[in-house]
Amino acid sequence: MAVHHKILGVATLLYLLVFFIHVLYFSLKKERVLAVAWMIIYATICVHTLGIVLRWIESYRMGVGHVPLANFYESLIFFAWSVTFILVVMRKKISYPVITMCASLASLFLMGYASISPSVEKNIQPLIPALQSNWLHVHVVTCFIAYAAFVISFICGSLYFVEWKGVIPPKAVLEDINYRSVIVGFYMLSAGILTGAVWAHYAWGSYWSWDPKETWSLITWIIYALFLHARMVRGWREKRIALISIIGFISVVFTYFGVNFILSGLHSYAT
Amino acid sequence: MTLCTLRRLLSFVKEKKTIRLPDEDRLSRMDFHSYVPGKGLGETVGILTKHYRLAVNGEQGAVLERGKLSRYGVFIIHTSIIVILAGSFTGLLFGYRGFVTLKVGETKDRLTLRGKTAAEIPLGFALTCKDFRVNFYPTGEPKDYVSTVEIIENGKVVLGKEIRVNDPLSYKGIRFYQSNYGSAPVFFFNVGGEKIILTEREVFRKNDLLMMVARFEGKVHDFGPGVLVAYLDNGEPKAAWFLKSVDRLREQKLQGVKVSLVDIQEQPYTGLEVSRDPGVFIVWAGFALMLLGLYVNFFLQHRRIYLLRVSEGLLVAGMASRNREDFKKEFEKLTEEINGRTS
Repeated sequence: MAVHHKILGVATLLYLLVFFIHVLYFSLKKERVLAVAWMIIYATICVHTLGIVLRWIESYRMGVGHVPLANFYESLIFFAWSVTFILVVMRKKISYPVITMCASLASLFLMGYASISPSVEKNIQPLIPALQSNWLHVHVVTCFIAYAAFVISFICGSLYFVEWKGVIPPKAVLEDINYRSVIVGFYMLSAGILTGAVWAHYAWGSYWSWDPKETWSLITWIIYALFLHARMVRGWREKRIALISIIGFISVVFTYFGVNFILSGLHSYAT
Repeated sequence: MTLCTLRRLLSFVKEKKTIRLPDEDRLSRMDFHSYVPGKGLGETVGILTKHYRLAVNGEQGAVLERGKLSRYGVFIIHTSIIVILAGSFTGLLFGYRGFVTLKVGETKDRLTLRGKTAAEIPLGFALTCKDFRVNFYPTGEPKDYVSTVEIIENGKVVLGKEIRVNDPLSYKGIRFYQSNYGSAPVFFFNVGGEKIILTEREVFRKNDLLMMVARFEGKVHDFGPGVLVAYLDNGEPKAAWFLKSVDRLREQKLQGVKVSLVDIQEQPYTGLEVSRDPGVFIVWAGFALMLLGLYVNFFLQHRRIYLLRVSEGLLVAGMASRNREDFKKEFEKLTEEINGRTS
C-alpha cells in the first residue's frame, strides 16, 4: 500500500473526527469545541492536500506522471477536497456548525466510497491519450469546485425543511448561503462546461457532441439558471427556492455518478 | 430571451440620461443614510474617490458610483448565449464533419462526409500519411497514437505534422484529428506481368480489363483466405474467386489477361476525423463573453453614494444593487472615514 493511500486514509478518519466533534458540540454547546472543530478542519485539508500531492509525485516516480484527476477514484478524492476547500474559503459566510458538519459528512462519504468500494480502481493508471491535455486540469478543477458549491447549496436547501431549534440556522441565513453557493457553483459549472467544450474541440473535433455527460451537465446548468431566474425575476424565496436547489443537486449527482454507471459515452474513462 | 435582452437594452438607453441627485427628502428615506455635520463637499468627494468613481459633481452635491458594469451583467450573459447560438449555426451552415482513412503511404484529396448521405467531397489539397505508430506505456496501455502526415498542394509538400490525440492539424480552416486506427487487408496482384496493390473496392483498369476486389474472406470454406474479384466480361459484370492457398484458383484468365493473387497482407491505417467549422471563433467569443457576464453579474455590485449639501452639513446616502449586508458594513466604514477626517 502506497504512502498516499495511507495519508488519504488518515484524511478520511479526520473527516469522521470532524463529524464527531460537531456532534459533541451540539450536546455540550461550548464554543471552544467549535474552535477545535475548525482547527481539525484546517488540519484535515492539509493532510488531504498532502495525500493528493504525494499521489501526484508517486505517479512521476512510476514514469506515468500526471495530475491525480484522471479516473473515478481520483475524482472522488478531489471532490471531497473541493467540498472542504469551499468550507475553508467561505468560512466567514458559511460558518454554521450544522453546515460544516453536513459538509464533513459529505467529504467522509466521498472518501469512504473511494476507498471502500471494490469497483473503484485505486491505483495510479497511466494517462490515456485522450486525457493528455492541459485542459484536463482547468476542466476538472472548475467542474468539481462547482459540484462542491452545489453540495453546500443542497445542504442549505435540505436543512430549510428541517425544524430543530438551536441547531438549524435561521431560514434567512440558509437562503443567503444557498444563493451564494449557487452563484459560485453556477459560475464554476459554466466555466467547467465551456473549458470542456474548448477541450473537446481540440480532442474530439467538436465542441459539443451531445455526450451523456455533456447533456446532463447542460440540464444541471439549466436547472441552476432557473434557480437564479426564479429568484431574481420572479422573486421566488423560501421553500420553492430550497426545492429547486435540491432538484439541481439531484441533477448534479446524476451528472457525476449516474452518467458514469448507466450511460456510456466519451467520458467513460471517468468510471 | 432575445426580447428580454432588447427590453433591457432599451431601459439602459433611457436610464443613461437620468442620473441625477435626488432631493433631501428622498435621500433621507434611503436605507443607508447619515448626516455628517460641518463637512465640506469637495473634501468628502476627495475621500470617496479613493473607492468610488465620480459620476455627477454639482454645486449642491455629488453622486459617486462603483461596479456600474454589474447592471449590464444579465445583458452580457444573454447576449453571449445568442452569440454562441449564432456561432453554432454558422458552423452548421458553412461547416462539415467527416473523416478520412489513410493507409501508410496513401494520399487522398477527398474526405467522406458524415451523415445520412455519405458523400465524398474534395479537400482542396492532398493529404499523405507517411507513418502511423502507437506508443505504449511500460504497463502496456497505449500512450500515444501518432500519424505523421504531409499536406501536398500543387504537387509540393507545404506542411508536415505529427497528428496526435489532443493535437490536431489545422490547414486552411480544415482540422484533422487523430480519431481511430486499425488495419485493413491489401491485395497484391500480378496482372499480365504488372505488379499492383489493391484494397477492397478499389478499381483497377488496364486496356480491356476492368476489375475490383469486391469482397475479402479470411476463410473461404476450408481453403484459407480468398477474394471475390468482380470484372467486366465484354461489358457484362462477372465475378471470380481467387484463393491464396489453392494453386488452381490463385491464377485465372480474365478478359484474356493472366491475373494472379500473389499475397494478402494486413496494412495499418489511420482514421482521421475531419472538420471545418467557421463558427468556432464566434462560439469562443460567446464563451468569453459569458464568463465575463457571469463574473460582472454575480461578483460585482453596483453601489452608489449620494452627497448633498444640507443646512446641518452634508447628507450622505447610499444604495447597493445586491449584497446589502456587505454594503451596510462598507457604508458604516465610509461614514466613519468621512467623520474621522473632521475630528
